[in-house]
Amino acid sequence: MSATSASTDVPRRLGTRRSWSDRAFRGTLVAGGAAVLAIMGLVGVFLLIRAWSALHRAGWSFFTTAAWEPDSGNFGIAAILVGTILIATVAVSVAVPLALGVALYISEYAPVRLRQPLVSVVDLMAAIPSVVFGLWGFFFLQGHVTGLARWLSTTFGWFPPFSVPGSDPHDPLATATVYTSSTFIAGLVVAMMIAPVVASIMREVFMQAPVGEREGALALGSTRWGVIRRVVLPYGKGGIIGGTMLGLGRALGETIAVYMIISPVFAVQWHVLANGGSSVSSLIALRYGESTPFGTSALMAAGLALFLMTLVVNFAASSVVARSRSGASS
Amino acid sequence: MRRVLAPLIAAVITPLIAAGALLATGSAASADSYVPVSGAGSSWSSNAVDQWRRNVEQYGMRINYANTGSSDGRNQFKAGTVDFAITEIPYGLKDGGVVDTPPSRGYVYMPIVAGGTAFMYNLTVGGRKVTNLRLSGDVITGIFTGTITSWDDPAIAADNPSLTLPQRKIVPVVRSDGSGSTAQLTTWMAQRHQKAWDAYCQAAGRSTPCGVTSNYPTIPGKGFVAQPNSQGVSGYVAQRGNEGTITYVEYSYALKTGYPVAKVLNDAGYYVEPTASNVAVGLLGATINTDKGSAQYLTQNLTGVYGNTDKRAYPLSSYSYIVVPTSTQNGFTDAKGHTLGAFANYFLCEGQQQAEVLGYSPLPINLVQAGLDQVSKIPGAQDQDVDIKKCNNPTFSADGSNTLAKNAPQPSECDHKGDTQCDRPTGGAAGSPANGGGNGPGTTTSGGTPTKSGSKPGSTSAPTTGTTTKGGGKPGSSAPGADGSTGTTADDGGSTDPTGTGTGVGTGTTVGTVAAPSTGGGPVVCDDETGTCSNVVAMPVETEETGGSGIGPWAVVAACLLAVALVVAPPLVARAAGGSARAGQAGRTRRAGRAGPSAARRAQR
Repeated sequence: MSATSASTDVPRRLGTRRSWSDRAFRGTLVAGGAAVLAIMGLVGVFLLIRAWSALHRAGWSFFTTAAWEPDSGNFGIAAILVGTILIATVAVSVAVPLALGVALYISEYAPVRLRQPLVSVVDLMAAIPSVVFGLWGFFFLQGHVTGLARWLSTTFGWFPPFSVPGSDPHDPLATATVYTSSTFIAGLVVAMMIAPVVASIMREVFMQAPVGEREGALALGSTRWGVIRRVVLPYGKGGIIGGTMLGLGRALGETIAVYMIISPVFAVQWHVLANGGSSVSSLIALRYGESTPFGTSALMAAGLALFLMTLVVNFAASSVVARSRSGASS
Repeated sequence: MRRVLAPLIAAVITPLIAAGALLATGSAASADSYVPVSGAGSSWSSNAVDQWRRNVEQYGMRINYANTGSSDGRNQFKAGTVDFAITEIPYGLKDGGVVDTPPSRGYVYMPIVAGGTAFMYNLTVGGRKVTNLRLSGDVITGIFTGTITSWDDPAIAADNPSLTLPQRKIVPVVRSDGSGSTAQLTTWMAQRHQKAWDAYCQAAGRSTPCGVTSNYPTIPGKGFVAQPNSQGVSGYVAQRGNEGTITYVEYSYALKTGYPVAKVLNDAGYYVEPTASNVAVGLLGATINTDKGSAQYLTQNLTGVYGNTDKRAYPLSSYSYIVVPTSTQNGFTDAKGHTLGAFANYFLCEGQQQAEVLGYSPLPINLVQAGLDQVSKIPGAQDQDVDIKKCNNPTFSADGSNTLAKNAPQPSECDHKGDTQCDRPTGGAAGSPANGGGNGPGTTTSGGTPTKSGSKPGSTSAPTTGTTTKGGGKPGSSAPGADGSTGTTADDGGSTDPTGTGTGVGTGTTVGTVAAPSTGGGPVVCDDETGTCSNVVAMPVETEETGGSGIGPWAVVAACLLAVALVVAPPLVARAAGGSARAGQAGRTRRAGRAGPSAARRAQR
């Protein structure tokens, strides 16, 4: 008896009968989300398949070899991966302070009338094609920035990455070429390209800082700078990190500007101010058209490494952003 | 990736050309109907190709060309992504242990233009450009294999008795992409200086014998700089700060960027410049494959050029080739063949006239004829006929000999290996580039190079020109600015001491004294105002300090301000206008109203 009553005592099934339009909408969204994952997965699989013959032949030496002579079997990404990371590091360390300043000025200090034009200008900068940045960097910036590079290396040469082998500051005939085509200059140009993106994400987040907390801080006698430090920056931390990571992702993959500026060397080049450097994407752009099938496979392997690295960076960024307070109600 | 980038670059750089093409297509609607064809390849010959492309746009032809390097061009043609490729070396060469397999689609070679692989450099002594450097083959090999590393090396001094070069590091600039220019240089080094080249190759981790390669091997830490494309290397050398750099690039790039090229020692013991006539003479030694059955028909063997014992021969002369399809596959159609055939007929015939001005050398008649025969193999191009007599090619003659080579001026004795050295500037430093009309006062042209022999007044005046006009200075086309500055005419190039009695620099009306009218063959130009005629064999001299007018930078700044204003102004005006309209209602718009009184007044009316 009791058993039968217990069996009838199941919890009520909570089901929603979705309308047809509801289901269609959900289906579209799920399909969209799945398609993104599927495309990304397929890109990865495609790269892996195409890269397989190179990876198979090179084995683990693929990660430790600096040279790039695929046709003679002597190739690896040690140098180009380091180069990629260094260019991205230079770019981010120049772009983030710049972008932070721009974002804070627009959101906190700029007169209301100037705000919208400034936002448009920053967005316009993000729309400049990268080849234009590359041309500008090669024909204009490079000739003008070697002085800065020389000063950096003579003043901070004791810091190993800033030293430039082969340069002699006391030699009046020393050529400026040791400071050209460097990781530093490529990084500067990339910084100009990522700064607008980073700035516009930061600004978006800063502008959302809760009015109640701002006004509270002001009411407590805080200065404007105090509001920024105590309210805006803590609130916008997620945006800062997220914007930086997005910029980093773009910097890692930037191709044409780096391709035009850098003088490729296939040795681990720690000296960011010295001539020569390399990056995965510029190497692919440089060699793709003229490679043998095996060389193309090796390039695909390098591309796969870059793909995985960018993926890791973006996942790290999204997890940081997810844990921050940005967007939460105050 | 590259294939996406190339059109992108083209899209950025050639909007005007495209617009011109559209107009041309519209106006030439009644003419032959052409379909666009696209090609890729050599940047060595791209200055000529680009000029021809622009020229045929008036006929409604749309030729797309991406100068992504010979290797890329050959690969793209092989893969079927382009309709033609331009390359300096044929398929089938072994490079780095891998044979470049020929494409499966039918194809033939056809020479398009000749030229010299020049050594363009950027070097100053005491703030003035060195413009008359001379190098022997051993020294060039030493520089590009990293054994000669300083400009004051005794080997360089031996080539340049009148120059005292500084102890400055030599920075060789090489191509980072697969390139026909690299192939030309390495072919020459592999044949003439095999030991040094193999030693370098081995140090760079290549297997020996190294032979010809399209990808220049670099050794990290040697101080070599690698740049993509001919524009990349020449642009790098042409940056003012990059002193001590030297690169290998087609002569036209030196003319374009206004930098000098090294005179190269030939087997007759003379240092020569890769002018059109010297290249034509040099190529008399080339062996052309005349076996019509061979896949390599018309390709070149340059051994005879390297060892040409004519006094005027430039040793690194070569032909550039176009690879055209002979079958309709990979999307190649008869209609495309018709366009490509018409284009080929144009550049083989009429186009050759411009070769010299651009910094190339026109093809001789036998190659033009053979090329025209090859054109008929392109599907869809059979129906076109070219009257070879109307080509006005400067090499043609009634008896079939090469007029350009026959009439090539003999080098001055000061160009002979020995204790003397000509002062005359070379390459783009010799004068304004052909397209830079009106290169009058204010342009920084380099002058005489400081010489050991000293500070005679003549060394600051215009250096003497030899027997030909250089730098694309087309006879009779001298710009007005050049007319007035025909100062020094010294004796015919043979002297190291220009008798500079006149200083024809500057305002364009000053006319210097003609000291000794040259018999050298330079064009004679008369000044309109004074009626003084003089032989234009000298160029105005401007030192770096005095050069450069102030208008350029300001125009750029103004343009930038205008661009910013265009972005900033509309929202501001809109805001001001909107704000004043609401002025009566909201207190916070007072500031806006103050900012735009005129807008407010307009709103009241």
